[in-house]
Amino acid sequence: MKIDKFKLALLPITTVVFGIFLLMLIVYVSQSIPIFKKEGLAIYTTNVWKASETGEEFYGVLAAIYGSVYTSVIAVLIALPLSIGFAVFVVDYAPKKLKEPLIVATDVMAGLPTILYGIWGAFVLVPLLKRFVMEPLYEHFSFIPLFSYPPITGYSYLSAGVLLAIMVTPFASAIIREAYRMVPRVYREGAYALGLTRFEATKVLLGYIKPAILSGFLLAFGRAIGETVAVSLVVGNTFNINPSLFAPGYTISSLIANQFGNAFIYNYMPSALFAAGLALFVIGLVINVAGLIMLRRWSHAKV
Amino acid sequence: MNAIETENLKVWYGDKLVIKGVNLEIPEKTVFAIMGPSGCGKSTLLRAFNRLLELNEIARVEGDVKLYGKSVYEMDEVVVRRKIGMVFQIPNPFPHMSIYDNIALGVRYNKIAKNRKEIDKIVEWSLKKAALWEEVKDRLKDKASNLSGGQMQRLCIARALALRPEVLLMDEPTANLDPVSAKKIEELIFELKKELTIVIVTHSPAQAARVSDYVAFLYLGELVEVGKTEEIFEKPKNELTEKYLTGRMG
Amino acid sequence: MRRFKDHLFLVYLVASTIFVVLPLFHILFCVFANGLPVLMKGGMNFLTGVLPAPGDGLGGIGPAIVGTLVLTVLATLMGLPIAVLTGIFSAEYPNSLIGRATRTLLLIMMEFPTILVGLFVMNILVIPLGSYSALAGALALAIVMMPYVAVYTEQALKDVPSRYREGAFALGLRRRTVVKILMSMARKGVVTGILIGIAKVAGETAPLLFTAGGSYTVYFQGINRPIGAVPLLIYQLVQQPYQNYHEIAWGASLVLMLIFLAIFLPIRLSLKEVKL
Repeated sequence: MKIDKFKLALLPITTVVFGIFLLMLIVYVSQSIPIFKKEGLAIYTTNVWKASETGEEFYGVLAAIYGSVYTSVIAVLIALPLSIGFAVFVVDYAPKKLKEPLIVATDVMAGLPTILYGIWGAFVLVPLLKRFVMEPLYEHFSFIPLFSYPPITGYSYLSAGVLLAIMVTPFASAIIREAYRMVPRVYREGAYALGLTRFEATKVLLGYIKPAILSGFLLAFGRAIGETVAVSLVVGNTFNINPSLFAPGYTISSLIANQFGNAFIYNYMPSALFAAGLALFVIGLVINVAGLIMLRRWSHAKV
Repeated sequence: MNAIETENLKVWYGDKLVIKGVNLEIPEKTVFAIMGPSGCGKSTLLRAFNRLLELNEIARVEGDVKLYGKSVYEMDEVVVRRKIGMVFQIPNPFPHMSIYDNIALGVRYNKIAKNRKEIDKIVEWSLKKAALWEEVKDRLKDKASNLSGGQMQRLCIARALALRPEVLLMDEPTANLDPVSAKKIEELIFELKKELTIVIVTHSPAQAARVSDYVAFLYLGELVEVGKTEEIFEKPKNELTEKYLTGRMG
Repeated sequence: MRRFKDHLFLVYLVASTIFVVLPLFHILFCVFANGLPVLMKGGMNFLTGVLPAPGDGLGGIGPAIVGTLVLTVLATLMGLPIAVLTGIFSAEYPNSLIGRATRTLLLIMMEFPTILVGLFVMNILVIPLGSYSALAGALALAIVMMPYVAVYTEQALKDVPSRYREGAFALGLRRRTVVKILMSMARKGVVTGILIGIAKVAGETAPLLFTAGGSYTVYFQGINRPIGAVPLLIYQLVQQPYQNYHEIAWGASLVLMLIFLAIFLPIRLSLKEVKL
């Protein structure tokens, strides 16, 4: 067989990309080892943050894992109905002149530097949510656990969740929109030919693209859980495991962003934070891979 | 009695006139074939009958279509589509839904059945009508995408029949099927015309000759000739029709 | 009743559309409303001056702007060659095992949390060198940028009609030459990818947190020294309790937004769709 010199020349460069990724994994695992040796899985299952330069240190990042999952779940629960509604509107209803500007607007949103969401979130969104959502709900419904925490500052899971929802909706809706637009014409016609109204036909067609919707959901969740600066400016950065939407908390990424700056004066804190990073690494990888596989299956499938 | 009548029906796609003033009378409980070379406007004409053209933003309709004397353009389009069922060129049962649900879907939304039991009955009835019952009765919960092409097309016929339509439109229903499956569909058409009116679009004169009572020849959006099938095939009045029937047209 | 549901459905669609795009306009509006007065008041000095002490007026964000420029250029220099060649590889060998794996890896890296990239670079570069540096910041940004450029390059090459590829091979050209020809045809797509990548990293904050270090009172001092960046500066100022720092943060946000829109909008408007 003839040797493809071109391929041989490119191969090392492609290998570099794999190398970087592998090296990342190695760094996260190896840097986590000291804390694993010291605490075992307690690093993930407890909520403790005892930093000490001289005495006994102990770290448990459960609050951050909880906060990451909680805020991301809020985000996708808000983002999903919005992105489906938006996708259907753009494809089926929007007048031609409005269609393109709407899509461009969401693309700008998807690319906008996240720090701009952060400053807007911290200075504009949080006070708004506090004043018009949290305080009324707390006043009247504080007996419901979800609303039971007094919204003193407004920095909370809810604020982070809403901000994340705003950030990931354009991304999720782009995936759903593309899938909905590609629904073969025969199915669209078939639905209407059965005497269905627009609402009923749309429901059937959305059922048809369910795998794509699900992958949009997963990928949006993956984005939300990895987001750092915008979240850390609104989540409150408190070691807290609270069911209430209005309670401040931590996420893995905001914990790292907040604590790493001075972590090196402690023996085990860097390792604890790398272990938290490893958790984010794994969660993010699993979710995104699942989302990508689902999307790929969908686009290749001739259902 | 005519099931469908059109009065000077014109259809535009944007600025392009594609149906150029068609007057048709389709007698009830017959099979009426519309034939013509591809691109002549057959499918468009059919979609003007059940107002499916309205899904196409650039399509515009002028003139009128009457269903048993009543203008479909003055009726609720959802009602029109329930009374005028349609089967498409590509078998299109919803692949993500079960065989059962594909039929039950229209029945439920159009409130044709009151409860689960009635729906069950209608599903069985329409599958029997479409000669599919024996093949699928033990796997009604299977995904429709597991059926063969011919079975899918009969499922589509079943789901149209389930709505008890007065007219059934068939847009080249055998174009994507193997000969055996196609034959089954043609036999089915023969059975069904006892109860309803069938308008079938085909590009094959042979098929029109086999299945239809009446035939219309459409060319470039214009109606060239209409009449009883045997008369037209034996003695076409128009030169174009003769050319088409003898295969001398591209 | 069915008609009523139809109307209700339309209300839902319109409402979601409004809720989806409204935040964008509110953000744009707030950044302008809060940032423009700062820019007006600070004048040219806001773009060229250095960060003042807390409570001591507006000063300027010059070092941060230069820092963003330096970091972006460095990141592009580091990431671009690898990214483009990787893109070529996965376009040329789409069915080989490595080609498929590369493509998957690129998509995964596009979605990878950028804070983890920052922490990683800190570990392999900042700690050994003993200092935050422009080099470390740029490396982190290069890793973030790479998958975007690679994916766009791949797509651009795949979009070249196959008859040109076949035609070129039919002339007996070597694969290297063929790819060269195809690349010149795919140039627009590749450039788009590079610009999208630049727009992306110019606005990134998280990868810089523990790599660039930040430097706002002195201008660029060398690639082995700490460096500032506009997004990083905003992040740090927002967390300070001082009024004048918040004002500077808004002003810097307007600058950042204008930079982003200036790169992004022309590309977006010249294309049918983008991948972000």
